[in-house]
Amino acid sequence: MQILRLVLLLLLLPVNPFSDAHVGSPDVYFEGTAGPYRLLVTIKPPAMVPGIAEVQVCVTSGAAGSIRVAPVYVNGKDQGLPPASDFLEPSAADPGWFSGKVWLMESGSWEVRLEVAGNQGNGKLAVPVAVFARRTLPMEKTLGTLLFGLMLFLAIGIVSIAGAAAREGGLQSGAIPSLRNRHLGRIAVAVTAVVVVAFLALGNWWWNSEAANLKQRVLYSPPPLRASLSNEHGVYELTLRIEEDFWHKTRSDEWSMGLIPDHGHLLHVFLLAVPALDRFYHLHPEQASNGTFSAALPAIPAGRYQIFADIVRGTGFPETLVSEIDLPNIEGQSFSGDDSGVATSPFGSPAAAENVAQLSGGDRMVWERGAVTLRAGQVCWLRFHIEDAEHKSVKDLEPYMGMAGHAELVRSDLSVFAHIHPAGSVPMASLMIVEQDLGIPMDHSERHALPAELAFPYGFPKPGDYRLFVQVKRRGQVETGVFDAHVGN
Amino acid sequence: MADSARIAFPPATAITQGSSVRTQAVPWYTWSSAVAITSTTAGLYWDISWHIGIGRDTFWTPAHLAIQFGAVLTGLCCAYLILHTTLVPAAAVREHSVKIWGFRAPLGAFVAAWGGFCMLTSAPFDNWWHNSYGLDVTILSPPHVVLILGIFVMGLGGLILTTSQLNLSAGGNRERLRWLLLYQGSLLLCLLLMLGYEYIGDQTLMHSAIYYRVLGMIGPVVLVGIGRASGSRWTGTIVAAMYTVWWLAGNWIFPLFPAQAKLGPVFTVITHMVPLGFPVLILPGALALDFVLLGLASRSNTDKAVAGGGGFLVATVAMSWPFAYFLMSPYARNRIFAMNEFGYNTPPSEYHLAWTLRAYEQTRVEFWIGMLIALVVTILSTRLGILWGDAMRRTRR
Repeated sequence: MQILRLVLLLLLLPVNPFSDAHVGSPDVYFEGTAGPYRLLVTIKPPAMVPGIAEVQVCVTSGAAGSIRVAPVYVNGKDQGLPPASDFLEPSAADPGWFSGKVWLMESGSWEVRLEVAGNQGNGKLAVPVAVFARRTLPMEKTLGTLLFGLMLFLAIGIVSIAGAAAREGGLQSGAIPSLRNRHLGRIAVAVTAVVVVAFLALGNWWWNSEAANLKQRVLYSPPPLRASLSNEHGVYELTLRIEEDFWHKTRSDEWSMGLIPDHGHLLHVFLLAVPALDRFYHLHPEQASNGTFSAALPAIPAGRYQIFADIVRGTGFPETLVSEIDLPNIEGQSFSGDDSGVATSPFGSPAAAENVAQLSGGDRMVWERGAVTLRAGQVCWLRFHIEDAEHKSVKDLEPYMGMAGHAELVRSDLSVFAHIHPAGSVPMASLMIVEQDLGIPMDHSERHALPAELAFPYGFPKPGDYRLFVQVKRRGQVETGVFDAHVGN
Repeated sequence: MADSARIAFPPATAITQGSSVRTQAVPWYTWSSAVAITSTTAGLYWDISWHIGIGRDTFWTPAHLAIQFGAVLTGLCCAYLILHTTLVPAAAVREHSVKIWGFRAPLGAFVAAWGGFCMLTSAPFDNWWHNSYGLDVTILSPPHVVLILGIFVMGLGGLILTTSQLNLSAGGNRERLRWLLLYQGSLLLCLLLMLGYEYIGDQTLMHSAIYYRVLGMIGPVVLVGIGRASGSRWTGTIVAAMYTVWWLAGNWIFPLFPAQAKLGPVFTVITHMVPLGFPVLILPGALALDFVLLGLASRSNTDKAVAGGGGFLVATVAMSWPFAYFLMSPYARNRIFAMNEFGYNTPPSEYHLAWTLRAYEQTRVEFWIGMLIALVVTILSTRLGILWGDAMRRTRR
């Protein structure tokens, strides 16, 4: 029975469905400069920690001769030195591509340092990476069968060896086992069999408890987010409370769990009407008390809404918290501050599948998709062009929360949600921490007149249908372009 | 008890009568098993040092290859021995072989092959474990236990091969086999002490009962077992001395090789391979054990276990307790005693913790209960060593 349980355990270990910072989109895409070189960096963190992250670098400007990589743990305390750096391997097919691996031994915020050398000089770049265990692996049937076979072989083998040892081990050379020897051998077989079964049962119990213990200690889950609605004097207020779970509690001594502002806000909340995804709100509740945020809601039609809430911890560790809420018809105020929203056609309707999204005042946003098919796991540029009513490039785009634009991507089943910028998928708050750490603080805020084009480097994590909300600011008003896209394998 | 009482001490030669191998040289497979356990033991020491100093490892690190070389060598040699003995009726070892599943070979060959196979089985298991639950951060994970089990059984198989030959041989050959047995025994002791490294490798626990519980569990069973199997005097002392020499050699040779940390965060800059620390002071206990067992040769095995185990514990505590003060002092922070060697992940702000004795047990009562358990465990370990050694002494196949 124990052996049967062991087999079942081998074959049926579940995949953990936990989500992550962003949601379901753990890979990091970032474009930045390292001295005279411009780099597009992709980092695929390990699914289990400790683990190995894959690093790919595309040199988009300049001719890099070599790139070295080293990981630094960022805990806001005594975070030690980086280990000896490794060279990324240049691609044989394309001298502009480099790839390699870094070992990440702890959950939390990491900084992947890149040092580029070439004819144009040297340069450094730091990329923040959030690392956390996402899943355990189920054992493949083939491997499970192989290991079970080996276990059976070893179990039967040791029982047979014990029997032979008792039966013949002490006999003089050439002597034949007597009846007594054979009896002793049978007793040894019986006793060893019992011991082996007990050993396997103990092993099975230990394996179960080790696996459960590891899952509890290591597997990440976002902290629970409690959403509630109150109505005082006709003003509907959304209250969000961030609770602490085991994963965060056990790490609170090791790194700072306090929140830091990202684009000037501690919390970015996205409300998405489900299942149609036809209404989208980007709000910024204020902190009422430690871990509790509230915001007066703007006018929102009744319905069920999915909540995605972005925060950044003190170490630069970003998280997206998830909840949902049923809202009545709210006749609130118009948007204020950095809050924004859009009502559009239901997901999957033909209009959103177009490359053009209508904005206010006859303006429009054009997605320059080209003929390239979007494929899961491949880094691509999502390029958008903003035009006025006469189809001319606008020249008066303004920074929206310090950035040229924001894009939120959501998969139709809500299993993927990502909030990205023209620099990539890393939060600006995290980026500033690692750049200060590296000694090359940079100001990523846009303050100047912005071009009408903006591009986001990103790789869709899995195939499926996605809706994109692309946000820019013009004439003091946030404009949101909505697009649907199919991502293939 | 009656069986073991019949075993003469020093060894009888009667058992060698009729043996066809008593005048032959030490068989090749006995040498190969010694090479295998040497490679695996050195590999394990290397691997622990690698983890402490360099950190990053893959299946293909030299340390891992040394460990698995022992498994492969054992597997190949034992497979050949089993097939040769089975298929060639005139094979020299056939008359002192055992039969399992229709195959014939010396018992030790089957045992060692099982251990080697177990070690190889751990490789895909461990690889899957890393992918599923993360890279190693602990010694005792389920696949590692499979590996450790395989290593010990492989070592045990080598001991059985050597002992069965020893029990059938005479003259100079017997002396060579006896030394080979002691050598293998000393490596088995190294392996077991590595298994208890978490406690007995931590010198700050030398004033805690847990240190003596673990040492009392591991030491006597090997020292007494090998001694009884070899049938010679003072063998426990010799085995303990060999262990001390091997460990000191590792401590002094490894730092000669450069290394640098390849995992972060790095708190201590690594410039050379990190040694595993000064060996456990097991020699005084072994000496006391041999002395007591020799003096009580005519007494019952239970008397020997009680007196021998007690003697081992008293001598070990008497020497280790004051020595701990020295190890904690600045005088031990040098190449000889290696108390100034730290892994890459030890912050300098924590060095002082390695130089301060700490109490594992929270209260004095807990300590004394722990020491009482240490005494019982040491006595049981001694008794088990007598039982195991005598069983080995009877092995002729």
